[in-house]
Amino acid sequence: MPIHSIPADIFLPIGGVELSTLPQQLVDGLLLGFIYALIALGYTMVYGVLKLINFAHGEVFMIGAYCALFTSWALGYIPNNTLGAGQWWMLIVMLVASMVGCGLLGMTIERFAYRPLRNQPRIASLITAIGLSLLLQYGGQIFLPLNQNIDSKINPAAGAFTIALGGGKSVDTATLKHTLEEKQAAFEEYLKRTKADPFNLDADGKKIRSEAQAAERDLKNAADTGKGTTLVIPYGKVIAMIATIFLMMGLTYLVMYTKRGRAMRAVSHDFDAASLMGINVNSIVTFTFLLGSVMAGAGAMMVATFYAGAKIDTFFGMVFGVKAFVAAVLGGIGNIPGAVLGGLLMGLTEGLVSWLGFTAYKDAVAFVVLIVVLLLRPGGLLGSAKVEKV
Amino acid sequence: MKGFWPVRLGSIGLAIAAAFLIDQLSKGNDFTQRLVVLAALYVTLAVSLNLINGITGQFSMGHAAFYMVGAYTAAISTLFHPELAAKNPLLWLFGMIIFGMVTAGIAGLLVGVPSLRLRGDYLAIVTLGFGEIVRIVANNVKFDTKGGSYGFSVDVHVTAVWLAWLFAFSAIAICRNLLSTARGLTFLAVREDETASLAMGVNVTQTKVTAFVIGAALAGGAGAILAHFEGFASSNMFTMDVSFIIVTMVVLGGTGSITGAVVAAVLLFFVPEKMRDLPDMPIGGITAFFILTGLAVAALRYVSQHYHGAASRKAMIYSGVVIGSVIVAAILGAALNAIPAVKLVPLVEGAKLRLVVFAVTLIVLMLLRPQGIFGKSEFSWDWFRRLGKKQEVATS
Amino acid sequence: MIKNVRIAWKPALAAVALAFAFGCSGGDTKTAEGDKPKGETTTQPSGTTTAARPEPTGEGVTATGDTIKIGVVGSLTGDQKPWGDDSIEGAKMALEEFNAAGGVNGKKVELIVGDSASKAEQAKSASEKLLSQGVIGIIGEVASGNTIQIAKAAFSKAVPVIGIGATRTDLTDEGTHVVRVCYTDAFQGPVMATFAYEELGKRKVGIVTDNKAPYSQGLSKSFADKFKALGGEVVGEVFYETGQTDFTGPINEIKGKNPDVLFLSGYFPEVGPMAQAIRGAGIGKDVPLLGGDGWDSPQLLVSGGDAIIDSFFCNHYNNKETRPEVTAFLTKWKAKHGGKDPGTTMAALGYDAASLTFDALKRAKNLNSKDLIEALNDTEGFKGVSGVINLKGKGGNPDKQALVVQVKPAAEGFQVFKKAYSPSDIK
Repeated sequence: MPIHSIPADIFLPIGGVELSTLPQQLVDGLLLGFIYALIALGYTMVYGVLKLINFAHGEVFMIGAYCALFTSWALGYIPNNTLGAGQWWMLIVMLVASMVGCGLLGMTIERFAYRPLRNQPRIASLITAIGLSLLLQYGGQIFLPLNQNIDSKINPAAGAFTIALGGGKSVDTATLKHTLEEKQAAFEEYLKRTKADPFNLDADGKKIRSEAQAAERDLKNAADTGKGTTLVIPYGKVIAMIATIFLMMGLTYLVMYTKRGRAMRAVSHDFDAASLMGINVNSIVTFTFLLGSVMAGAGAMMVATFYAGAKIDTFFGMVFGVKAFVAAVLGGIGNIPGAVLGGLLMGLTEGLVSWLGFTAYKDAVAFVVLIVVLLLRPGGLLGSAKVEKV
Repeated sequence: MKGFWPVRLGSIGLAIAAAFLIDQLSKGNDFTQRLVVLAALYVTLAVSLNLINGITGQFSMGHAAFYMVGAYTAAISTLFHPELAAKNPLLWLFGMIIFGMVTAGIAGLLVGVPSLRLRGDYLAIVTLGFGEIVRIVANNVKFDTKGGSYGFSVDVHVTAVWLAWLFAFSAIAICRNLLSTARGLTFLAVREDETASLAMGVNVTQTKVTAFVIGAALAGGAGAILAHFEGFASSNMFTMDVSFIIVTMVVLGGTGSITGAVVAAVLLFFVPEKMRDLPDMPIGGITAFFILTGLAVAALRYVSQHYHGAASRKAMIYSGVVIGSVIVAAILGAALNAIPAVKLVPLVEGAKLRLVVFAVTLIVLMLLRPQGIFGKSEFSWDWFRRLGKKQEVATS
Repeated sequence: MIKNVRIAWKPALAAVALAFAFGCSGGDTKTAEGDKPKGETTTQPSGTTTAARPEPTGEGVTATGDTIKIGVVGSLTGDQKPWGDDSIEGAKMALEEFNAAGGVNGKKVELIVGDSASKAEQAKSASEKLLSQGVIGIIGEVASGNTIQIAKAAFSKAVPVIGIGATRTDLTDEGTHVVRVCYTDAFQGPVMATFAYEELGKRKVGIVTDNKAPYSQGLSKSFADKFKALGGEVVGEVFYETGQTDFTGPINEIKGKNPDVLFLSGYFPEVGPMAQAIRGAGIGKDVPLLGGDGWDSPQLLVSGGDAIIDSFFCNHYNNKETRPEVTAFLTKWKAKHGGKDPGTTMAALGYDAASLTFDALKRAKNLNSKDLIEALNDTEGFKGVSGVINLKGKGGNPDKQALVVQVKPAAEGFQVFKKAYSPSDIK
């Protein structure tokens, strides 16, 4: 049958956007932005010293998540376990394990894949990086268990901050609660008396049940109107944010106030001059990779543990890696505060896009941001404003 | 230059004959036909990407996007005009190829223009990003109940093996001919040194954009053929993996060598298809394979950097190293498999190794022979002449 | 001696024109068949009429040689591996029994396995490979998106496709060669809608759909339609995609609409983590989660943790049923698999699909795929593990029961039966 003028049903947000969900989306986006910032630091530092985009950084992040997973298993939280809530020292162990694992991996990659190619044209390193990324993703499929989750019980901070943002009307729920209790008691009594199956009731039973259900609905509707908008921030995400801030402060101290940090800055300024000045550039480059990977490992452990339902498989790092890379470019690649700023902005943008209903396009948005930045201000927000050939 | 017309007509005749030969040979067996058509398509893709990456020196990583644009053009057109398509499928396919080339060419223009100001790494990321954006958009835009994540089913199947190969040969011909013109030399100039070319009066902008447009158009034509051959087009068929596979082919063959791209495409396209049928393998064996590769690469690098003796002995040492690594890895593999814990691990489906092979190929290539198999050299009839004659040694 | 490209074009064009002249006779073209449907219109259990099912016009494949080749397609790799493994194991069990009992007049059946790798394109190439090996029937698959591709591939060769767990309603519209042993989403959606409205007393549903899975989209739609018809309200529908790992966006969106029940119509790899994220976002247990048979896997408990406990979903049968077919099947299965129950209902459905196919082979006039199609569509009163299967006059969709189960921890039995619905209950 001829299909002539079928309107293209472009995937549009459903039902209109609601202002009330904006704060939640923005907050969630911002919190995730801290993680992006952590990963972006790795990209930006490596680019600073080597002028190389470490494509495999996302996969280092992925391995960090697996390190955290395996550590949680070692601590007893294997699938279908019967343990209770975890303890703080367990989280510290997982964090250290991820950081160490990633650090080692990062250094190995640098030593065996990037260093041999330092004198080759940049394209060779880029291709190797892509190859490594693919190798870790698909090779990982062979050796690593897929579709895993860290048992959420291991997180001792299970609750969430609930902040009422207002917009609620004062509704009297007392009478409704009373009615509900009455009706529910009546239903329980009926069930006890007739020993009926709650899902296979006769007409009488159904009547009593529907009264109880109606009371429940009324109460919920009233409560919903009453509570207005609430902001739910899980404790875990807040802990992740605080930890991230500490890590970034530590990194800044390292880079700005220590000798090694000064050497790093020198190498990123001018590779050859730095080596002429007596700086062991190989060691500094390795150190840079180490730092970046350690940051990524920390970020990975936090996402895997504190973000309920985070699914860990070998492609876990791809999405984070791309967004963190865009964040690094957005802030100005090679620029450490830029990476942080970029990460937060990427998170916020994501929250905004989700709020507008375009969740399906979230990942595409990252690329669009990248292209726009590279075309208009290749130096990034904190980089130079000169539009030169990047 | 020996007779222009005989050589030209001879080559064209040879190409047509080859296309029909392949068609006849593969008739009757669906599976072989599929392999042959895919070979032709990958050859086209590799050659078209080679034009952008190798010959013009632009690093484009999102080639699958142009492939997809061509396929979707064909699929959507067939969706809107099924009766027209059914009337003469072959003519329709021909038209779709042209249409696909046009739309993909426009896409190439869209990517090419911004690419002017980006170099190397950034261009790679942007083209990759463009590829993903196109794929994600295609994944979400629906026409009534078609498209979106289901993809489009193309109801007009055309299994014209000869057409696929003819198109591939045309792509090769276009690239070759392009290079032998004055205009074509500008592509090479831009690759070698942009600033110098600019100083010599080459319109660098136009050259780069032309490369993108032609490369994209060829990929789009291949996409149209794919859509009608498979009878199906969905965004899952054009993921980043496909782009990486094409890049691997170009790099393996030698970025800049059309011959290399063709050879590598034929060598490598076969691998993902055949590997789907691999039996399950013990994990010890796979680990041993990785160790083998690592050892061999490290040893070969060491030899190539530290050995300065005769070339013939070098070849012997290389083979020795490879054989040695195989032996060591075999021993290791056997030892690993003997460990009871390792035996408990379930067998790994061989198919999982598909993309691993590509990844390993890329890395090994870059470490051992970044210029690929052919480097920058091309196939030429001279090779056969040289085989027979003795080399003349320069005496002055 | 700069060869002008323009000159080279002319002979090239001429060559192509020549090629064309040859091609029009030498080329091999196929167009879609079945544009003149002469199939039947049938009514579905929920009362909706499906479009006429086209009849495949190919000549059909005849079984040659000493064995009868039947293909079976399942996901041996990828996210849907639990279903693929279970359904193929079930089919193999049925095969052994059938061959041991003598096969078809002494002729044994050979089962050839194809891997769909949890992807539609793979299902397509796997079934094409099977067809080229001369199978006269294809059993498979579980996911509707994959099964649609198998159906399309098999249409041109007039080979029957026996769906195992594919529930998308319009699947059987692909042709009369498609039948299935499970219920359809046209039934499953309204079952859950009725359960939510009547049994749970909910009035405001939030729907969470997997935009990449045809199954989920169809199921969400049939659920929404029925829920609205009953008098309920769909406060919002949000989307995610198979393979997505971060669900905060859609969850925050639906949270703002204050639903009193959530319908997650997707597959278990995402439903588990999503349930955790939903509870983590502050949506409490007073908002129950509902789903379809896509939830069915022990993996759900692992990835869903505490968040998924006490949710409800719709399934095909339950291991605790007392019907003799169920107990016999479970005994045989446990004997072969170290005393363990099958992980998902797809084991029994795979067994049923295979047994039905073999039974139809016996009833078919000849060992030809077209006769097999006829025999399959003529099935009446076939006692399967998952229920009685009647296909005569049903347009390929048996009118089977649906069971609503509640999710409990593994120690308590994972799926606890709550209520059964038969097609007559849902008008």
